[in-house]
Amino acid sequence: MTVIEVAEAIKADVLVKGESCHKAVRHVVASDLMSDVLLVDEEDLLLLTSLASDQVLRTAQIVGAVGVILVNGKPMPSSMVNVANDLRMTLAICPLAKYDACVAVHAALNRA
Amino acid sequence: MTLQNLIHACGFEPVLVAAPQTEVTGAYTSDLLSDVIAHCPDGAVLVTVQNHKNTVAVCTLVGAPAVLVVHRRDIPEDMLDAARREGVALLRTPQDQFAASCKIGAVLEKTAK
Amino acid sequence: MSVVSQSPVARHVKTGAYFGVDNEPLVLLELIQRLKVRDVMTPKLVTVSRDAPMRAAQELMRKKKISGIPVEENGRFFGLVSIDDIIRALGGGYIDDPCSRHMTTKLVVLEDDMPLSFALRYFDRYSYGRFPVLNRDQRLVGIICQRDINRVLLVELTSELNRLESASGQNVMRDGSSNIYVLREFPICKYDFESAGKAANQIKQILQEKKFPPKDIRRVAVAAYELEINLCVHSDGGVLSWQVANGRSEIIARDAGPGIEDVEWACRDGTSTASEWIRSLGFGAGMGLVNVKRVSDEFEITSKKGSGTTVKSVIQIGNTPP
Repeated sequence: MTVIEVAEAIKADVLVKGESCHKAVRHVVASDLMSDVLLVDEEDLLLLTSLASDQVLRTAQIVGAVGVILVNGKPMPSSMVNVANDLRMTLAICPLAKYDACVAVHAALNRA
Repeated sequence: MTLQNLIHACGFEPVLVAAPQTEVTGAYTSDLLSDVIAHCPDGAVLVTVQNHKNTVAVCTLVGAPAVLVVHRRDIPEDMLDAARREGVALLRTPQDQFAASCKIGAVLEKTAK
Repeated sequence: MSVVSQSPVARHVKTGAYFGVDNEPLVLLELIQRLKVRDVMTPKLVTVSRDAPMRAAQELMRKKKISGIPVEENGRFFGLVSIDDIIRALGGGYIDDPCSRHMTTKLVVLEDDMPLSFALRYFDRYSYGRFPVLNRDQRLVGIICQRDINRVLLVELTSELNRLESASGQNVMRDGSSNIYVLREFPICKYDFESAGKAANQIKQILQEKKFPPKDIRRVAVAAYELEINLCVHSDGGVLSWQVANGRSEIIARDAGPGIEDVEWACRDGTSTASEWIRSLGFGAGMGLVNVKRVSDEFEITSKKGSGTTVKSVIQIGNTPP
């Protein structure tokens, strides 16, 4: 399942389609602490986070994530879309709380 | 579902559980304490990597009965003290936040049926 | 934006050099004299009244994403409520008390027509994250934090650097053999969270363009990112320098202070000296140095309390040139 398909399955709005948007999601990480994300060794991961900052996208790029879904329907700094475009990182926003988003993503991946 | 049943069904490590019969109504997953203050519902287990005494203070504030620390991170002594004082349960799991949240989700869904 | 250069100016953006201690950073000296506090401060203020509950201040901080709120009535300034005050209030159970009871009142203030160099000295001398700015009539007109200064200085410096760099040419070169040789220096400013991570992003992009193995690229990028964040969160500012030659990446993060008391402790998993508001930005979970060590083939840290810290991370990125 690609990050775009996961986003659609949990009713998240895709704001930026990045270069890996058609790659299959192989691992999901939920975290708001970027050091925590940097510890993950998996490839092609999808990041679920409630941290609305440019750092999220920079971290995602560092670990080669296929995309970022911002949960909680957070108002985000306008710079985030620009940074996502610059880094060619897929960015989606979802109104669910992170816990509910985890459960929904898990269900979507299991159905696929 | 009671806290005790949730711990049992999910296989979490009960580090400090003073009131095992407390009702758990859901979960909230976050590492941002300001976000927890703003959004965590009453009765939810807080799933977090923040092994810090302020996490306990925030739980008291929003009425979360328990904290689940993921990645089996160490629980410092002052966090234990705070939890004992405030009557907040402390749980631990080696799982990451995503896996732990999905596990709680599956268990709570099963009991809802 | 981050400043990427080997130009003379970049080297001077080390802490301490702001004041021309060991060099003559003429561009900076000129800038910090020319700019006034009012050019840099945030003028539109969110304030609370003295009898507003601490909870209202907390709510405003959350909504406006700020780390401190002045307590003010009709232009008269009484004190400041910071994130730390809020955390203490939450911990102590007095979040519903009026701000006047728990606000910080021992405050150092700046005046709006002081040159920026004054503000820099104040940040150097006191450990506060922000200063209220008053005008000549002692009315509150703004607030200034280090990020404001960093932003303005970087904008001004970048235009200067662009000019210098176009004069000095490219700084990625090839040596006699086919080995890639890259040398970059990135100045990192304290608490400039908007720019932090940009150096690591660029390093990753450069390695990708040169087609190094993805696994190795990731290790270098993780080390660079953590070291960059460390400089931003814990040091008074410093320089991240990076070079690649003969399949060997070497990152050196150097700062001029404040230094680490117990290096062994700092390298342990989960230990952190970060304050609560830094944690709330998603940093300071105490995994930074552990993470750098984990991805490095060689790791070295030297530090002394009161002076600076230097961290070196060496990573082999394929023995054969790509």
